[in-house]
Amino acid sequence: MKTRTSIVVGAAVVLVVAGTAAIRPAAPRGGGAPAPELTNTSWLNSDRPLRLAELRDRVVLLNFWVFTCGNCTRTVPSLVAYDRKYRDRGLTIIGIHTPEFPPYAGEHDKGNLARALARQAITYPNAQDNDRRVWDAYGIRYWPSFVLIDKRGIIRYTGYGEFHVDDGDYREWDRRIQQLLAE
Amino acid sequence: MGSAHPATARRMRGRGTALLLLAATTACRGRVPLVTLEAGPAPSLRLVAASGVRINARLKPALELDGGRVLRFDSPYLTPDSAYFAASPTAAPVPPGGPHRGTLRASVCASREHFCRSVELAVTW
Repeated sequence: MKTRTSIVVGAAVVLVVAGTAAIRPAAPRGGGAPAPELTNTSWLNSDRPLRLAELRDRVVLLNFWVFTCGNCTRTVPSLVAYDRKYRDRGLTIIGIHTPEFPPYAGEHDKGNLARALARQAITYPNAQDNDRRVWDAYGIRYWPSFVLIDKRGIIRYTGYGEFHVDDGDYREWDRRIQQLLAE
Repeated sequence: MGSAHPATARRMRGRGTALLLLAATTACRGRVPLVTLEAGPAPSLRLVAASGVRINARLKPALELDGGRVLRFDSPYLTPDSAYFAASPTAAPVPPGGPHRGTLRASVCASREHFCRSVELAVTW
């Protein structure tokens, strides 16, 4: 029996090694296009649903994330730092919280998200994107992803991946934010 | 990502009670796997990450069986920050007999990439 199991599993492993995907990363939908409107109805750290149309004349940084993603949570301190540094100068950071798994995993639960925000001292608005409508509208594929929108509502920069306070990516996003605030 | 390769599924079903795994549609396209599902100590399944790939432990992998039952993979061995599994997680008990069909979900993070992606595979055993 043991031998038979090994044979079967071995065959399966070979099959998969022959096979499955290492998907090449692709950036979110590119810059220069009008930013799709936010349609989320459930928000935290905001007393009402936010819409980009109301945020003209502000620079908006969307952060697509989920609290179960270590790459996302390790990037949060950078976003909190941007928020403290630039909120009063015209930057609005919005977390778009997009679950990876179906509801049984707990990511859709508003209470769980609220606890995650408190744990990480996040005070900027967060939308629950439980139906992935905004995720899909922006063509997002990875956690975390970022979309930087200028004061006219145009997507100017997109990207993805973990970064940390004062590393190269942090400084590059900081430069981009400052550039758009100055326009 | 679609269903398992039907020819492989037929071959595997003939192997009695041995646990096995099946791949995704991408199995036929010549790419490297991110995760592999293997038979663990009976009656369990083990999820094995490819070299350089970490499995998210904060979002335990799941095997959704036809009929609605969900098996979650887990391991007591985690990385120091508890973000990833340090040993291959297992799920048990796997229902006996077969054939069974289901959907495997895992959140995986390649260490060189600095982001997470979801893997969704149709499996049959």
